Amino acid sequence: MSKTLMRFTGVGGQGVLLAGEIFAAAKIKTGGEGLKTATYTSQVRGGPTVVDIQLDEEEIYYPYANDGEIGFMLSVANVSYNSFKDGVQPGGIIVVDPNLVHPTDEDRKKWKIYEIPIITIAKEEVGNVITQSVVALAIANTMMNAIDKTALIETMLSKVPAKVHEVNKKAYELGEKYAKEAMAK
Amino acid sequence: MATREVISTGNELAAIAAVDAGCKFFGGYPLTPSSEIMHVCSDLLPKKGGVAIQMEDEIAGICCVIGAAMAGDRALTATSGPGMSLKAENLGLAQMAEVPLVCINVMRGGPSTGLPTRVSQGDILQSKNPSHGDYKSITLCAGSLAECYTEVVRAFNIADRFMQPVIVLLDETIGHMHGKADIPTIEDVEAGIVPRKRFDGAPEDYFPYECGPTEPAVLNPMFEGYRYHFTGLHHDKNGFPTEEIETCRKLIQRLEDKVEVHKNEVESYEEFMMDDAEIMIVAYGSVSLAAKESIRHLRKEGIKAGLFRPITIWPSPAEKIKEYTDKIEKVLVVELNIGQFHSEVQRAAARLDIEGLFKVNGRPISPYEIVNKVKEL
Repeated sequence: MSKTLMRFTGVGGQGVLLAGEIFAAAKIKTGGEGLKTATYTSQVRGGPTVVDIQLDEEEIYYPYANDGEIGFMLSVANVSYNSFKDGVQPGGIIVVDPNLVHPTDEDRKKWKIYEIPIITIAKEEVGNVITQSVVALAIANTMMNAIDKTALIETMLSKVPAKVHEVNKKAYELGEKYAKEAMAK
Repeated sequence: MATREVISTGNELAAIAAVDAGCKFFGGYPLTPSSEIMHVCSDLLPKKGGVAIQMEDEIAGICCVIGAAMAGDRALTATSGPGMSLKAENLGLAQMAEVPLVCINVMRGGPSTGLPTRVSQGDILQSKNPSHGDYKSITLCAGSLAECYTEVVRAFNIADRFMQPVIVLLDETIGHMHGKADIPTIEDVEAGIVPRKRFDGAPEDYFPYECGPTEPAVLNPMFEGYRYHFTGLHHDKNGFPTEEIETCRKLIQRLEDKVEVHKNEVESYEEFMMDDAEIMIVAYGSVSLAAKESIRHLRKEGIKAGLFRPITIWPSPAEKIKEYTDKIEKVLVVELNIGQFHSEVQRAAARLDIEGLFKVNGRPISPYEIVNKVKEL
């Protein structure tokens, strides 16, 4: 498998950092190379945050995704969407939460944009808003087919307390379901 | 050497390295982007019989580290540029009184409070001379996740060997990036620890600063019956202040020479695809990762570029740099400041035509920017 470049964007405090760590760790555990970097502002909560995830078979040197090479971006904040969308290659996939992010018509021509209400799913269907990062993780992995699902879920569970294992598994399954539905449309 | 694979961040690895290297004391004040070093030390040190303490500010942080080191412990503080400015006076005190300690600086944009969450390498010259006066700084710079571990371990051993502060430079990118690192086993790290020298004779015969002209002081741990006077003033063999002409001259000359004469013991650098290189890129820290990536691209296009990466920044590997710059015409220094190490390469090479690619807006330099610059040379 060749290099996979993904970018998660949101605002500080939404948990996008953890999703990146899970991806990188799962890739490494399955014998590949994974690297996560985050860029954030000095506003701890509310500032635009971007997480770059690189998964590769060979050694990764430069830790950031090069602009124009990103195959997948997920965004749950309009300010971050606008700041970082140009890193996505033409024809690449962008997933947005339609309640929070508003792509232009031009954007829709340039990229494959899917609208999935990630935060609503986490809040209402999973029942815990902080599982949004796991919903996002599932969507990214389903659309990019990046890592073996079992390995990814195992790594994810190793990073969250045991008492929330069930709710996070549910979040993953729901994310996968919505991703498949969106792609089928 | 056996290694173990860990998945972590640079800051976490730096803290784990300190604990594995036998550090028993952390004193400091959390400062972005270095705070995780303090978080991890606060977690791990008490479990190992050590102490981590958050002081009222960065100055108090290094002061208590000096105290812990005088009591005989390996001791660490960590901060970023603004904290280095505050610690400068006491780094000078530790140089003068010859107290071994490790100070990690995870560089962010400066000057002043600068860009707290953004990457920079603006503290290269500061780490050469953080305080006033003459002394020889030892500064190491991690260029990978694994080196965040190995360079901190090395720093503790060097500090005890040379009896002075050792600065370890990380930068925001390397401190926060999260990935795989192959690091030495704890057994290997422990086997490599060389404790600082101590005087075992009668206490009345103990003179900590009576040592050869290129040797460091021998400071026995406090509270064990070996007494000495501790001061930042020029001092005699007992540590008492003096203005005696030859004693003053010899003291400061010795602070210089104890490192200068033995600098081969601390020299460290990486040569990446330098064997047949026709273009030499000089980079260190996280920028060297972009440089390696750019060399991958350039080599695919048939351009023979290589990387020279200083790991020990001060004293700089000047002779090695000159060896290369004498035979390679095109030399490019890439760094996240306006030429702080570039000037050192110019000095070492005795050439004014060394090229530079610099950035100071808190953003990283991408491999493509380096590729484009190399093609312009």
